[in-house]
Amino acid sequence: MRFWTLLRRDVLVAWRKKSGLYQPLVFQLLVVTMFPLGLGAGAQTLAKISPAVVWILALLSTLITFEHLFKDDYEDGSMDLYYLSDMSLPMAVLAKAMAHWITTGIPVILFAPIIGMLLHLPNQSFGILLLSLALATPIFSLLGAVGSALTMNLRNGGMLISVLVLPLMSPVLIFGAGAVLESTLGNSAHSHLLMLLGCLVLAISLAPVTTAAAIRINLE
Amino acid sequence: MLFAPVNLELKPRQLALLSGANGTGKTTLMEAIAGIRLLSAGQVQFSGNNSHSWQHHSHYLGHKLGNNGALTCAENLAFVAHINGLDVTEHDLSALLASAGLAGYDFQQASDLSAGQKKRLAVCRLLLLNKTFWLLDEPFVNLDHAGCDWLYQLISAHLDQGGAVLITAHDQQKITDLAHHHITLEPA
Repeated sequence: MRFWTLLRRDVLVAWRKKSGLYQPLVFQLLVVTMFPLGLGAGAQTLAKISPAVVWILALLSTLITFEHLFKDDYEDGSMDLYYLSDMSLPMAVLAKAMAHWITTGIPVILFAPIIGMLLHLPNQSFGILLLSLALATPIFSLLGAVGSALTMNLRNGGMLISVLVLPLMSPVLIFGAGAVLESTLGNSAHSHLLMLLGCLVLAISLAPVTTAAAIRINLE
Repeated sequence: MLFAPVNLELKPRQLALLSGANGTGKTTLMEAIAGIRLLSAGQVQFSGNNSHSWQHHSHYLGHKLGNNGALTCAENLAFVAHINGLDVTEHDLSALLASAGLAGYDFQQASDLSAGQKKRLAVCRLLLLNKTFWLLDEPFVNLDHAGCDWLYQLISAHLDQGGAVLITAHDQQKITDLAHHHITLEPA
């Protein structure tokens, strides 16, 4: 019950604040329009780079939302409330990461086909694109929680989060963009997706405990 | 080390007033006792046990009020109640807010409140959670005269009911009169 309370609160707060919901999407749209302008190329070149671009955009646009994942709670004191309650801290972290995924990850997944269309991603790849992002966006939120908790008491932690979290995300990018690339070539993306699933299991089991430790270090 | 060693035994129905010049570590000590800061030396014992349940019996009201600006007053209180495993009805919360002088603010977002009203909302949590031990760090700041009287009455009622209070407050003669213990923090 406590898990759902925190999850529901975070989703509600994100919904009221709105900015976190559309910021990643606006970012993606702005950047994707730059590609044809910069490349000056036709549909063929765009299609070739589209798996990588769609994926990198999904990753970077999520990255900009991490800073406030724990910082707001830390600053207004509501973190003390759940930290000092009987709720287990890793559970609280999992609830917050899941709320972040619902409010950021799901919009990114739903928006990806539009970005793919703008980049002439081959038709047969859209399914794999959605599937790979569905597996990867929860990993983003979980890794983001670790970075966000480590930097929550810093004034300008945003850059540091990127430095901390991007290296951890690179395997996810490799397998995710790889899956979409294989599908554009007509190959099976099976092995890549399974690796993503493995990363997800690893993130779910390790990230909440790591994040809880980071919160304890910063609070105490 | 921030301040010279202090020792305090606080019994039910007792209030301890913590004082000291700015920067001597009143808030640091409060936070350490509340459990959101690591004690570099010393310990907090509850009923003779150094147990985890200490936090279970105390509520800390500090400078960070713990109100989320995007949530309404009622939602803020409901959240705190739920993560502490309490069931509350909308009616309970409404009555609680009314008793704090926030009648009709149930559906107002906390960010729209004045500084004093935000403090009143935070004080509502003390009543909602009803813990034995209250840790109050400058609770009178931002409250108007009526608010100060209200909080004073809450504190003295809490003591009458067997609670205990550790408080920092400036220029609150009534609290000074109520105090069983005076602790003054001296720089180490």
